[in-house]
Amino acid sequence: MLHAKKKKRSAAPSGFSRKALLPLFYLTLSFLLMILPLDGFVSSVKALLGYIFIPQIRMSHSAVKYADGVSSTIRELLDTHHENRQLRQEIEAAKILGAQAEMVFEENERLTSILKLQPSRPWQGTWAQIAYREPSQWNTVILDKGSRDGIQPRSAVISVENGVEGLAGEVVEVSESTAKVLLVRDEDFSAAVYLSPSRDEGLLAGGGTGAVKMKYVPLLSSVKEGDRVYTSAASSIFPAGILIGEVSSVKKGNAFQTALTVEVTPAISSSALKEVFVISDEKDRK
Amino acid sequence: MWGFFKLFIAFVGATVFHWAFATAFANIGIQVSVMLVFVVACCTLLKPAYGYPMAFLCGLFLDFFGTKLFGNNAFTFCLLATFVYMLSERFDFESILPQMVSVFCLSVFAILFNALLLMLFSASAVWQGLWSLFAGSVINALMAPLVFFVLRMLLSKGFVSKEA
Repeated sequence: MLHAKKKKRSAAPSGFSRKALLPLFYLTLSFLLMILPLDGFVSSVKALLGYIFIPQIRMSHSAVKYADGVSSTIRELLDTHHENRQLRQEIEAAKILGAQAEMVFEENERLTSILKLQPSRPWQGTWAQIAYREPSQWNTVILDKGSRDGIQPRSAVISVENGVEGLAGEVVEVSESTAKVLLVRDEDFSAAVYLSPSRDEGLLAGGGTGAVKMKYVPLLSSVKEGDRVYTSAASSIFPAGILIGEVSSVKKGNAFQTALTVEVTPAISSSALKEVFVISDEKDRK
Repeated sequence: MWGFFKLFIAFVGATVFHWAFATAFANIGIQVSVMLVFVVACCTLLKPAYGYPMAFLCGLFLDFFGTKLFGNNAFTFCLLATFVYMLSERFDFESILPQMVSVFCLSVFAILFNALLLMLFSASAVWQGLWSLFAGSVINALMAPLVFFVLRMLLSKGFVSKEA
């Protein structure tokens, strides 16, 4: 009898501790993952998870793409006739433009060789679609293509919005079939840029939820609202001359300031991104 | 074994729907999380021995897409699982209203807590505004009865279930 009572008493706390042990274990594990640096052990865990999740991600993306494809196919079919007529006209115009461009290319080649300039090559790369957008990290997107398609980390990503080509971001992580892109608005994003027409150089930095800023612009610069911002040749990642956006405001600051801070509205808005072009041969060019 | 298989199917289904909803709603600035609703529903149906690992795994799935911090979603979801197991002793998750109310409250908590973790550990601000917070939580709450119903159909029998 006494033995049974003792057993009962000892069973209660052990049951409770077992109940508390389970959440404690998982909370500790996730806390450890959180406080460890992102490279090293955590990146190994991420790589391991990649083997588990990437087939699933691919499946999810295919399923969503298929469902999206059905509705867009119907819509496209309805617009085909009108689009076809418009495209025929555009092809005719493009043919004329192509003939003119050929002459200009020849002239450019001839002048380049006379002036002994470094010939510029057209960008090479891959078109990719936005496969996933993480709502809690608004300025990061996942592309549906990866290293298998020639995408490398630290590649420039461009896109077209309202007929204007502009810088969308930079590839930060690549797996076999996906790539993670840090968009221009992200606070971890930075790029060497210059202003047009003043040609003043500076450093562009994303502002997270705030504005995108161009720093270190000389105080005597003639920068004004509406000026365009392009990637500079000084950048180690981005090819020179890609449009980033337009100047939205210029802050003079106080008398002790040594440089202007310029706010920039990106040409490519984060929310409108659907398709991007990843430039893959920039490293060979440098 | 069959129970594990069904759990795996449910997890794959949740990731597919999360992928679709999160991407679609992110375009209009709303944070919808099917994974959160799935975790809450799982924890009301599964034994803790399966509920906590599932919450942890779902969190890791979301962390896989992050660039600034790793483990924050896993931590938040484990905390949510703890809340749900504590609540399930007093709360009736069988009816629709408690399901919706709990998912709404937990969604608000999860988004705020996640933003706080990101701010503390990676010094980055991810605040999307009140509209995103509340609209996302309302959509999560509206989805809750359907997710609870589907999961109950799928997981109520078998050794992983609380009822077993």
